[in-house]
Formats: sequence, structure tokens, C-alpha cells
Amino acid sequence: MPQNEHIELHRKRHGRRLDYEERLRKKQARSGHERAQKAKKLRGIKAKLYNKKRYSEKVEMRKLLKQHEEKEQKSTKEQPDQGAVPAYLLDRQQQTSGTVLSNMIKQKRKEKASKYQVPIPKVKALADAEAFKVVKTGKSRRKGWKRMVTKVTFVGESFTRKPAKFERFIRPMGLRFNKAHVTHPELQTTFCLPIVGVKKNPSSQMYTSLGVITRGTVIEVNVSELGMVTQGGKVVWGKYAQVTNNPENDGCINAVLLL
Amino acid sequence: MTSQYNFKRITVVPTAAELKEVVLSKTQRKTPTVVHRQYSIGRIRAFYARKIKFLQQTLHDKLTQIINEFPKLEEVHPFYSDLMNILYDRDHYKIALGQMNTARHLIDGIAREYVRLMKYGDSLYRCKMLKRAALGRMVKLLRRQKSSFEYLEQVRQHLSRLPSIDPGARTLILCGFPNVGKSSFINNVTRADVEVQPYAFTTKALYVGHLDYKFLRWQVIDTPGILDHPLEDRNTIEMQAVTALAHLKAAVLFVMDVSEQCDRSIEEQISLFESIKPLFVNKPVLIGLNKVDVRRRSDLPPEKEELLKKLEADNIPLIEMSTITKEGVLGLRDAACDQLLVQRVEQKLQAKKHVLGDGVLSKIFVAYPTPRDDRVRAAFIPESAAKKRINTRSGTTRDVIAEHRDERTRKLEREIELEMDDDYILDLKKHYMLRNDDEKYDIIPEVWEGHNISDFVDVDIEKKLAYLLEEERRLIEAGEYEDDLDSDDEETKDLLKTATKIKEKEDMRKLENWEKKVNSTAHHISRSIHRKRERTMSKLEQDLGELGMEVKAKRMKNLQTDSRRTPSAMKIRVGKSRSLSANRSVPRPEQGLPEPEKREAVRKLVKKTQRPMNRNARKGEGDRHIPDLMPKHLFSGKRKMGKTDRR
Repeated sequence: MPQNEHIELHRKRHGRRLDYEERLRKKQARSGHERAQKAKKLRGIKAKLYNKKRYSEKVEMRKLLKQHEEKEQKSTKEQPDQGAVPAYLLDRQQQTSGTVLSNMIKQKRKEKASKYQVPIPKVKALADAEAFKVVKTGKSRRKGWKRMVTKVTFVGESFTRKPAKFERFIRPMGLRFNKAHVTHPELQTTFCLPIVGVKKNPSSQMYTSLGVITRGTVIEVNVSELGMVTQGGKVVWGKYAQVTNNPENDGCINAVLLL
Repeated sequence: MTSQYNFKRITVVPTAAELKEVVLSKTQRKTPTVVHRQYSIGRIRAFYARKIKFLQQTLHDKLTQIINEFPKLEEVHPFYSDLMNILYDRDHYKIALGQMNTARHLIDGIAREYVRLMKYGDSLYRCKMLKRAALGRMVKLLRRQKSSFEYLEQVRQHLSRLPSIDPGARTLILCGFPNVGKSSFINNVTRADVEVQPYAFTTKALYVGHLDYKFLRWQVIDTPGILDHPLEDRNTIEMQAVTALAHLKAAVLFVMDVSEQCDRSIEEQISLFESIKPLFVNKPVLIGLNKVDVRRRSDLPPEKEELLKKLEADNIPLIEMSTITKEGVLGLRDAACDQLLVQRVEQKLQAKKHVLGDGVLSKIFVAYPTPRDDRVRAAFIPESAAKKRINTRSGTTRDVIAEHRDERTRKLEREIELEMDDDYILDLKKHYMLRNDDEKYDIIPEVWEGHNISDFVDVDIEKKLAYLLEEERRLIEAGEYEDDLDSDDEETKDLLKTATKIKEKEDMRKLENWEKKVNSTAHHISRSIHRKRERTMSKLEQDLGELGMEVKAKRMKNLQTDSRRTPSAMKIRVGKSRSLSANRSVPRPEQGLPEPEKREAVRKLVKKTQRPMNRNARKGEGDRHIPDLMPKHLFSGKRKMGKTDRR
């Protein structure tokens, strides 16, 4: 024991109080009551946080209880000797109906999911007024033919702006993104991959040509990092992914890889 | 010096979850909470950007504090850096701190990025979502460092429990096999209370004790026992002992067990001694033969005696002792302390000698740049200087001076002095430049009647004097200095006379008071009392006598009553000095109960009544808690929720 652990040293030499165990037991018994009182008295944001934490604790407890209960059910069980069973059936164990049913349900669910080709099939149409903001130009600031894009955009590497006088759509630099967080649906891992281009924006063809990225847009990403190889032996370096969040609200582009 | 190695000042490192809670709730409390949709968009943006920046600042500060407070292994004494390496693994330690650093850097980056994006937020919802994303990302980074936080907290706890060993102080280190009696020795000699048990490796860490010898403070370090195997096989506990031996400049006391009760023979112990001998260079070594109460050195078989004699031949003193009967313990301590003192004093003297010998030259360091190519870059000396230098090397001082002389300068006084040697007298008036050369050696005063003569020396002084005298004569003739036609009459003359008398009197009084004030060491009494005492009959007589009135005190009977009363002086207690007389006052318990038996009974009663209080672990009269009856947070401010009609 280190030299300055005085409490532990005293405990080692003189032991604990005579009624230590009893007091500890009583204190622990009281803890449930105290917790309940605290939960009743809390107000405001502290109450919200506490309730959230308590709920997750309870969820854990319930899961644990369920696990204990589940263990009693076995997926296979011995078939009782009802009449003669042929030799080739002697060692086989019948699957109980419980597991059969659950397997069937899981299979159906998987099929249902794979019916849709794209994770987000339908998307609300994006209005022009929402995507563009009018920028007034001219000497007396009366002309309103310029528009600034308020959504996240992707411009290619070789992009150069048109001369400012002729530029109709302004894509601000702060809203230009080059990388997307792409999730592989089977591996369930997310990679940060560079964007190659915008394939299709479901709202309008104009947005596609401008490179506006909103929820549901199909983009092409550079997957050479993943090291995918085709059947013929060629390296796959570009794949499509669909954007699953609102990038202008979150500050990042989250997408799901379309296999 | 010791305070530098006090690692108890490091603040607690919170876990990742705690830090997240603390930081988020702080942001919620310390930034404005209300914003509406109809505010101007600039105001909304500023509101949310402030929250992001606040969180970034708070996290930055907290992480900086953690990083700065942990000691850097390079800046700490090598003993401590080695010890920390053994206990905490230097790589792991550095990586943990490095991760804190990167986390801090990343948090700054996130905050910057989202504040930039906030400028494009055109609705409250969008700004709010951006703020939510920013805070979430910053806090997520903390979750990734969870293990680093835990590790650093454990390191901090262990560091704060390390014994505070001052690497520069006088130290004695005890080493030897396990169970030979090192901890018993330190318990004997210092006030440290180290565990002593019959099993090996009772001591698992370094322990420090302090002792006083020859009016100086000494540290005694007890180490865990070392086993005899090569360095690579040593475990953490043994490595601590080895580190202490390696880095601390101290006297080494190798403790041996002659009775072989520690399950190791004397040969094994000696072989251990030989194997760790390389650690003992430049340190005074002593061997303490412990447990002589069981078996004396004279009872040893001859082979073992021979081995011990071999050790003695190497100039290592062997001192017998027994920690149980305490014989020889103090002898060993004294011998070790003396040897170490001698060595330290020698070192200090050597260091000083070095300085005294060369003086300034030993303190000057000339740096030469490392040559980067073959070009010779010699120093540039102009030709004339080089010639002079060559010449001076040969001649004497006289010639040197003569060489350097210019044509216009005259012969130096120094040269003359060297020529004349003993006959030389310094005569500064030799070269005075005066109009009349034989006035050179005239004696003229410098100060006359309080005036500096050189102020008045002037070329035209005689002319000016004549002019002034002339002017004066003219004025006198014109009658400037005669009295006024309307001269004073009798009254005014008398007035003037009395005025001068009064002035004289005032001046005298002032002088008297000033004297009194300067010389008085008496107590300062209040003015009214002082004045009262002054008003005596004799003083009255004297004063009025000066003014010319005849007063007889005896005739003024009604004024005599005051003077009859003797002036009250301050009462000074005169008695025996404190040092001579003993303390006469009796302590209160004895005053109340003069009989010792009664006192004893009372004491026992007190203890008895205290026992049930202790058993119930309740508060007593002495455990006074002063509650805060009106805490500020309950009695001020608006209620967040609920009513304020009662508090």
C-alpha cells in the first residue's frame, strides 16, 4: 500500500466500525426510496435529462430480464418416443415452431426492404423560392436577376466562375462541399469519400446542372479507397450514393451507397 | 525545491460523460436562452453562433488545463521521469496527452466550420439545426477519448500518492533482498510507519521517512526488495527500487541478513550486491548486517566470514545491527550520514575551487560556428593593428605606451611615474593655464561665508564693484535710505516693540516644543490634560514676571487649590520580571478540582459518556455545524418554474 493512503492503512490495522455492515445494508435499502423522491421533486431541464437517463437504464434492465426469460426456451428439443421412430430419424431433432415462425418473419421483412431500389423513393419537390435567394444588383440596386443558391452545392475541381457581370447563379464558397459521409449498407460502416459529381436531383433538372445537393439527390462518389473489384477483375472507383439528410441543416452530406 | 515534485496539485480529470454533461449544461446556463422567429436574421445567427463558440471555448479551456497540469516527462527530474515510465508507461502517457491535444484542435476546427455555415442560415430552424449539429459533433469527440480520460484520471490519482522525494536533498537509500529488515530499520530511525510482515514483498512501493542528524534534515528511502536476476526480468516493483538507486545521489545502505532467516544465504546476498554494484558508483556504500540478535558475526562459519572480509577489503564498512533490539542501528545511521556529508562537502568545495581558480575566464564561453564548407573565414585584422600587436609582444610596458603615442599628445604621467619610480609626486597644478604663471601655486579658498567663490569669480569683477559703489553713493546722496518724514509717534513705537517681543516669545515656545517633541520618549497624553498640567502657579509666576508684572503665588490663594493636587502620573507596575518568577496561575481543571483522584474520576466519566455518542455515530456538541440559513440562490432571483409568493 502506498505511503500516504492513510484511510486504507487505518482500515487495515483497526478494521471497520462494529455496525458497519448493518449501516451499509440499510443505506442501500434506502437508496430506492431516495431516488424516487428525487425523481418526483426535479423540475425543468434537469428533470428531462434525468428522465431520459432513467429511461435508458430501465430499457437495459428490461432487456436483461428478457434475456433471462428467453434462455428457458430452446430452439431444439427432444422428440418424445411416440411409437417407433425409424433409425434414420433417431438422431435428428425437430425444430420447434417458435424458431420457424421467427425465421419466416425475418425473411419476409428482408424481402420487403429489397423491393425498393433506392433508399429514399419519394422526395418533396424543392421550390425555386426555397432554393434561391434574390440578389439585387445594379447601380441603384434595382435589378433582381441574380440568384444566390441557399442549398449545399457541389462544383467540380476545374470549376471557374463566369465573369461576375454575367453570372446568374451564385454558388457561395461556404456552401460548397467536396466530401460526403457514405454508409455501406451491408458493412454498416461509414466512410468519408470525395464526391465526383451530382448525378440527378429529383426536384428538377436545373438543380442537377447547377450541382445543388438536397435530400434524395443521387451523387457519384469515389470508392477507390474501399478496394472493390468487379467480376472481371477491374477496380471499381465510382459508385452512386443517395443523400439521406438535409445538408444545409447539418453542415455535412450523409449518403447511402447504392450497390 | 520539494514543491516542484508535489504532484498533488493536478485537478481531477473528469470522465468523458461527466465532462459532456458539465459543458453542455454550462452552455445552456451561461448563454441567452430566448430567441423568436420574428427577430432579424442577423440576431438569430448571432444567438446560435454564440452558443457554438461558447462551447468551443469551454472545452478548449478544460482540455488545455488538463494538458498543462500533467507533468512533462522531459521537464521533470530524471528520477521522476524514469519512475513514471515504469509505473505508467511513457508511450501510453504521451499518447493519451497527445489525443487530448488533437481533440482540442479538432473541436476548434468544428466550431470554426459551423460558425461559417451559420452565415448562410436564412431561417431560425436552419440555424438551430446547425447549432445542434455543431454541439453534437464537438461532444461526440469527447466520447471517442473516453479511455484516455479514464487512464489520465488513474495516473493522476497514483501520481498524487507518490511519496514526495526531493532528488537534491541528503538521502539514504536502503536496498537488499526482501525480508532482510529494511522497513524495520526505517521504522526505527524515522517516524515513518511502514508495514513489517514476515512474507516477502511486503513493501511494494517507495517509502520516505525523515530523520534529523547534526541539525540537518535527511531523507531515508525504503525500497522494495530486489531479487537477483538480470535487469530485463525485473518486474515493476523491483524496477522502482533500481530507479531510485540509479538516479538519486545518496548514500546506499545495503542491508544483509546474517542469520539467513530471509531464506537466502549470505553467498546469494553477496552475489546480489556484486550484481547491482554498477549502480553504486560515486555513492558512499555501507553494508548493514542485520539480525545479529539471532546469529552474531563471530558465530559465522569461516567461509562466510571470508566473504565478508573480502567486502571489507573493498573499503566498504560492515556494521552489525539488530532492528529488534535496536543495537547498532544508530551506529549505522551515523556512519552513513557522516560519509554522505563528507562526500557532499567535497563536491561543493570542488565546484567552488573551480570558480576561484580561473575566475572570469571559466565563466566565458566562446562559441565557434561549425564549418560548412572548406573556405577559410579568418578574422580580419587591419595591417597597422597587426604590426602594433607584433611589436608589443616583444617590448616592456614603457615601450608599449611610447609606441602608441600620437605626435600631439605630451608625455604621459604614467610614463613619468614609471621613470621616476619612488620620487614621483602627483602635481595637478603643473599644467594650469593662467595669465600670470607664478600664480599657479597660490592657495585660494573655495568657500567663504557660505558662498561658493567660483560663483563670484569674474574677469570684470573690479569694474563691476566700482560701478556698484558709485551707484550706492549716488543713492545715499539722493536720500533714499533716510527715514520717513512722518515718523512713528510713541504709541506705534511701543506697539512695534511689543510686537517684536511677542515674536521672540513665540519663537522660543516653538523651539521648546520642538525640543520636547524630539526628545520625548514619554507617553503621549491628550492635549487637554497636558495643558492642564502646565498651568501651575510657578509657571504663572515666571511668565508674568517676564512680562514685567510682579506676582506672588502665595497671595493668590484661590488659585492654589489646583496646584496642591499632585499631578496624576501613569501608573507603572513595578514588580518582579517574568523570567524570574514562575507561572503562578493554576490551570482551570485544577482550580475546580484540587484533588487528583477526583480529577481522574471526572476524566473517566467524560470518556464514558462519550462512548455511546461515538457508537451511534451522531453529532455531538463539539461537531458544530454552522448552517447557511439564507443561501443566496434560494432568496434571490426569479423562479424558473413555480410561484415566488413563498420562499
